[in-house]
Amino acid sequence: MLEFIIPNIILCRAIEAMASASIACAILGVIITKIGISSIGFTMSHAAFAGGAIGLFFGIPVTIAAVCASLFIAVLIGPLSDRARMSPDTTLGILFSMCMAVAIFFIAWMQTTGSGMNATMLLYGNVTSLYQHEVYGLLVVSAVAALFVIVFYKEITAIIFHRKIAESTGISTSPIFYGLLFIIAISIALSLTIIGGLLIFVWLVTPAAIASQFCRSIRSMFFVAPFVAVCISVAGAVAGLSFALPVAPLTAVIFAAVFAVAVLLSPMRRITNSKN
Amino acid sequence: MAVASSPLIVLEGIVTAYEGADRPSLRNVSLRVGPGEFVMVGGPNGAGKTTLLESIIGMLPITCGSAQVCGIDVKKQGTAVRKRAGYVIQNFSFDPLTPFTVREVVMMGRYGKLGYFRRPDRHDAELAENAMKTLEIEEFADKPIGTLSGGQQQKVLIAQNIAKEPEIMLLDEPYSNLDLYSREYISTILAGLVRKGITVVVVSHAFDGLPDLPIHAVVMNNGSITLDRACRAAEIEDIVRTTSQVPVAHA
Repeated sequence: MLEFIIPNIILCRAIEAMASASIACAILGVIITKIGISSIGFTMSHAAFAGGAIGLFFGIPVTIAAVCASLFIAVLIGPLSDRARMSPDTTLGILFSMCMAVAIFFIAWMQTTGSGMNATMLLYGNVTSLYQHEVYGLLVVSAVAALFVIVFYKEITAIIFHRKIAESTGISTSPIFYGLLFIIAISIALSLTIIGGLLIFVWLVTPAAIASQFCRSIRSMFFVAPFVAVCISVAGAVAGLSFALPVAPLTAVIFAAVFAVAVLLSPMRRITNSKN
Repeated sequence: MAVASSPLIVLEGIVTAYEGADRPSLRNVSLRVGPGEFVMVGGPNGAGKTTLLESIIGMLPITCGSAQVCGIDVKKQGTAVRKRAGYVIQNFSFDPLTPFTVREVVMMGRYGKLGYFRRPDRHDAELAENAMKTLEIEEFADKPIGTLSGGQQQKVLIAQNIAKEPEIMLLDEPYSNLDLYSREYISTILAGLVRKGITVVVVSHAFDGLPDLPIHAVVMNNGSITLDRACRAAEIEDIVRTTSQVPVAHA
């Protein structure tokens, strides 16, 4: 798509993929962090990781296996989160550990069979051997995430404010919540091979965390978080490929650095000197 | 208690149980409330007052009995009931960095009625503005809700429910965060709602400054209604105080 301005096809694909993944993850990240369900994102990213490892082991396309695993965990998480008497920490802790164990089991097994090099892609991502259809897939998911927020904006904001109050106003919160889980699962699974199972959580949480240092309204966060994520991801891709460094880990470190600077510069912590 | 016109709330022997609990929180509760009644629900802590409110609007599962609110079966169509009934919750705390202004929170009261695909229009904005004026919080309209005091936040939640134009208004401890002036002011507003024909159900431990209206007193104890009768505002405190200790005294 961007070949006319970036002739280097590897760099072009990397920038397209990182930007697309960033838009989807950052938009969903705003909802995830503001509702306070970061642990759900964490668990689903490791479910995709486990699915990818299983796919790699059995020769199933990694993305398809990751999508299936993420959706399976999303189907489990939805009802578990909805049940008031179930501690989310406990259930998500169990699911997360299970996913991590499955992923490590198959990766370790692959190392004994000599195919461990392929498995590192699942851990840290790979932007140098992407197909155009993978980029298109990510673009479609980003568009779906954006559309989801636009169409259900008032319901999403009400749930972010207070789920019980949203429910009491007559909003059916469960369909929105399940729809959100579904889109998170798909986004994470499609981003897995680019960003890596261990790092994708950075893309889900950090852009929203940076945006929240400067934005006083939820609407502005939905614009600032993807913008920040795209800028940092593109910078990471360019720097990583220019200096032959691993792109996703480098970008994750840049995210952390920008977040630290954002906290220092944030006007949210400023105490007024005004006497009136 | 006899209800002259067709009742808005009809509970017949309902039982409500929390998931995992050994015994139900509401046991065989029956209640009829008509349009424009002012209902005060009293009783000791843990008597089931909040459970009663949340059962009325279908936020908790009713395991036995039948419940009709605004002519709707609560067990089958809880969401439809909540579109027509307001509910001001008891326990809330909003982070100072919560990214929502008072105006946005009051407007959220309209969202359920609008449904999934409709955006708030000028009419909804007017209702939200009027609700803020009624509660005297329009000067805070553009402030983040988390920066307000507990009492001011309580008023915002009441305004949110008034903007909803409910047929029934349920309030759980609405006076708990309010000073004396604000209590009387909120009582006046609730009395205004009753005069418009809106049914108001209040769970409270505070009985001072109540509006001078006929009151439908309901006292709960141990998950059951132990008293259900009409009284005057001046009598309610004594009634609740004495009846709360009595196991069964259905009037």
